[in-house]
Amino acid sequence: MEIDARPKMIGARVQRLEDPRLLAGQGRFIDDLNLPRMLHIAFVRSDHAHARILEIDSADAAAKPGVAAIFTAPDIAGLWNPIRATSRMADYHATELPVLAHDKVRYVGEAVVAVVAENRYLAEDAAEQIMVSYEPLGDAIDAIANAKADAPLLHDDAGTNVLAARTFHRGDVDAALAEASVRVSGNFRMHRKTPTAMENRGYVADYDPGRRALTLHSTTQIPGIVRDALVEMLDIPGNRLRVVAPDVGGGFGGKGALYPEEVLVCIIARQLGRPVKWLSDRLEDLMTTNQAFDEHVAAELACDGEGHILGLRAEVIGDVGAYSVYPWTAAIEPVQVVSFLPGPYRVPNYLGRVRAVATSKTPTGAYRGVGRPISTFVMERLMDMAAAKLSLDPLEMRRRNMVQADEFPYKTASGIVWDRAGFMECLDKVASSYESLRRDQTAARAQGRWVGIGLASYAELTGLGSRIAVAPGMPVNTGTETATVRIDSTGAVSAYFGIASQGQGLETTLAQVVAEELGVRVEDVDVIQGDSAAVAHGTGTYASRSTVLAGGAAINAARAVREHVIKAAAHIFEADEGDVDAADGQVFVKGTDRGMSFRELARAVYSEMGRLPKDIRENIELEATRMYDPYFGTTTPASHLAVVEVDPETYQVTVQNYVVAEDCGRVINPLIVDGQVHGGVAQGIGAALMEEVVHDGAGQIQTASLMDYVVPTAAEIPAMQVHHLETVLPDNPGGFRGMGEGGTIGAPAAIANAITDALAPMGIDINELPITPERLFRLIDGK
Amino acid sequence: MKPPAFEYLAPVSLEAAVAALSNEDAKVLAGGQSLVPMMNFRLLAPSLLVDISRIPDLAYITEDGDGLRIGAMTRHHAVEMSDVVRQRFPVLHAAMAHVAHLAIRNRGTIGGSLCHGDPAAEWPGLVLLLNAQLKTTKRTIPAGDFYHGALATDLADDEILIEIQFPGLAPGTGWGFEEMARRSGDFALAAVAATICLSDDRATEVRIVVIGAHATPLRLTAAEGLLTDHVSIGAAADAAMQEISPDSDLHASADYRRHLVGVLTKRALAAAWKRAA
Repeated sequence: MEIDARPKMIGARVQRLEDPRLLAGQGRFIDDLNLPRMLHIAFVRSDHAHARILEIDSADAAAKPGVAAIFTAPDIAGLWNPIRATSRMADYHATELPVLAHDKVRYVGEAVVAVVAENRYLAEDAAEQIMVSYEPLGDAIDAIANAKADAPLLHDDAGTNVLAARTFHRGDVDAALAEASVRVSGNFRMHRKTPTAMENRGYVADYDPGRRALTLHSTTQIPGIVRDALVEMLDIPGNRLRVVAPDVGGGFGGKGALYPEEVLVCIIARQLGRPVKWLSDRLEDLMTTNQAFDEHVAAELACDGEGHILGLRAEVIGDVGAYSVYPWTAAIEPVQVVSFLPGPYRVPNYLGRVRAVATSKTPTGAYRGVGRPISTFVMERLMDMAAAKLSLDPLEMRRRNMVQADEFPYKTASGIVWDRAGFMECLDKVASSYESLRRDQTAARAQGRWVGIGLASYAELTGLGSRIAVAPGMPVNTGTETATVRIDSTGAVSAYFGIASQGQGLETTLAQVVAEELGVRVEDVDVIQGDSAAVAHGTGTYASRSTVLAGGAAINAARAVREHVIKAAAHIFEADEGDVDAADGQVFVKGTDRGMSFRELARAVYSEMGRLPKDIRENIELEATRMYDPYFGTTTPASHLAVVEVDPETYQVTVQNYVVAEDCGRVINPLIVDGQVHGGVAQGIGAALMEEVVHDGAGQIQTASLMDYVVPTAAEIPAMQVHHLETVLPDNPGGFRGMGEGGTIGAPAAIANAITDALAPMGIDINELPITPERLFRLIDGK
Repeated sequence: MKPPAFEYLAPVSLEAAVAALSNEDAKVLAGGQSLVPMMNFRLLAPSLLVDISRIPDLAYITEDGDGLRIGAMTRHHAVEMSDVVRQRFPVLHAAMAHVAHLAIRNRGTIGGSLCHGDPAAEWPGLVLLLNAQLKTTKRTIPAGDFYHGALATDLADDEILIEIQFPGLAPGTGWGFEEMARRSGDFALAAVAATICLSDDRATEVRIVVIGAHATPLRLTAAEGLLTDHVSIGAAADAAMQEISPDSDLHASADYRRHLVGVLTKRALAAAWKRAA
């Protein structure tokens, strides 16, 4: 048998294996899970932002039809061990993370009472009868006010509302600013967002009293982390506590933390001995899923007369909401704003200070991009402001300051190390149409049209290894992932992972990797993920890590299995191992007609007694578990270019054209990478133009439905051109860099710069996002 | 977001539906696109829903002289796709693209939208613009008398809207429909619809209606009166801004809505002028 070439499954536009299931309505999501005797929870949630709970009267509710039980915080005390998001970071104050509010409430929407009933309708009917009386404790809505010493304290035991503070420092900023030819500065504001996954959060807990075992079905992105936390909180050993994430309809970080409701369904299921379901409705999702991107940044950039950066100074206040979320802490986003602010540029002198300030709002956590959409917005605005002051083209300004190919590895002003990656190549790629776009813009302006072009360049650290924790000082190892690859006695290949796909297509990409390495077809590989029982340790899918870490582990495990496939086949064929190869589901002796399928090989190894001698058989393992640790992580750069048009009368903004060039190393599946970029840019456009969680002065959330929390639809998103650069990554088994978040990182900056460019004749700077028609009206009206 | 328990009745005659509405807290269910979300939010808790979708002959688009009669249960999408609507009332056809999204247009009804009476919805403004008559189980109400305020109509509790009667437009009537919304399909921040008849380049008959910038859809009679020749479009638009009392909300301040009404009036009148023969 002769098979000429190895199938090149890595790099192929393989259609997503999960799509037939998902598109035909055959996916299995949390709400598809209906267990016998299952109970349902409805919550009474706080309608105060900051208040003491005086009394809870649930007598009428308890008497309502179908009500099985009602729980308040005192009712569950002793049924669980509280947990805190700890960190070794100095100047960090962990907060409690109540499952039900006790003593006081700290945001509107915080769960106070859980009503457990035969169905959700009856649970909501009963919840309506519960009266909770509160004593207001004073407004604690504004992050800047809360950072002051006399502000009302949200957490008495912390002794401050500043839950984390950090400074990054290099060189002498004051001297650099003093000697600079050009200084530009601004007060930048990104308003709070919420991830709005299509599927809301949901949990089903199933306790088996006979085995004293608990299974939690959860929309989580982090089944391994949740399992490990629940083991501590519930005193159930890990081998009897399983967390399963079935099909999950989007996460974007919002499902990437431990949630109170997730713990509570477990407590109640064990207590009542019946399965318990809670599925968030959209109102609850908009009030309680971790929010993000809520920063005030005062920043100043200094350059010499040629536009070379001399220094950068920034003061950041992050509004982190009411609690420090597990396991990432309240520091995760604000600290990244400051650590990534210098961007892909040479910044010799830097001083970045950040404070994470508690407010009586929904807690914040990870949302696609985490901090970097804000840092990139600020830095890229400053770059354009400096270029304008120097009468330098924004493209040239970036070229003069970007880290060059001969400077890698480059240590940034905040200490991040950029590995070799296509920084300038990405910028050059998006700039290929720049001159003609500028000509088009000149022509449009002559017709009175307000057209603008915006650039944004950034680099991110993805696929973080064990050297750098995803959140500073956190006690959870996010730097390794494990894969098990197994050929069973029928020759079928299963690959087990600790990651948890929420729609990213990981079932397909990881199957491509395993198939390529093992020599089988993509459809022969079943990928098992989203299950804490799949591998001994795994943390999940977040931080643009899954392809890098799980893909690396998959390569390591598949190569180990392949060695044994070859060894067994060589014995059966009576050939040298070096002459045996595997491809397309066949094992064969190269240059001959001798070959067999993986099924035949597996039968020979496992089932046909006497086919292999005992000493060979005992040393053939068609199963291997391997880990991968990228140690530092991988550098992913990109440049974005946006063309916008602003209606000169209504101030409606239309994104006309959008170009992305990104370097995610070796592309496994261009279809999927394109999709990730498209979705990321769409969320970035939402962040730039539309999305804002609005609270009134009393902390009441005003954006309580998707009519008022405005996310872009397909109609608002332009067609995009996406260019992939594939810079080789040494010392990395697959050469993959992470790329799931990048689109969201670049888009707000590119759009803000493009609108500023469109309004340049009026001298208006877009330093506050989202830039809604109302905000544009006020800016233009004020001129 | 689950509604409390309610009774549900699906009568097959108008008489039975009207009789059922004599129950306390009874509500008509048409397409359910506004009512059902409000029930899920527990903002409304009717004890009885009277589903009128099984009553025969409430969904139709019928020519009547130069005009049209449209049944109250007609779906938005049917109007959008209707050739006779496109020929006789192109402004209706154009406005339909702004009515929410396709899935909602497939379920939602004209009668439901009119009786819900959201001042930022297109239909209440369109019936006012086109001088329609609203026929109910009791009487016929001129569009101009139908609204008392936001979400408040002249209908009695046991009265059902059954037909909307559009008188024919004068030959050569020009029209314009201009809307600004945050996203495609959202409720209007403001919209302006206009019709114009011309004689020797002078406006003879002008109707201008504003949507989403007042408690009810509003005819801008002062602006109408100022529009004489093409040059006066600017003056009419300025007048339009003074005739309305817009509210501020999350998406637009009163000032911005007023600004938009000026812009959209100018654009709607310019478009109508261009189309008028």
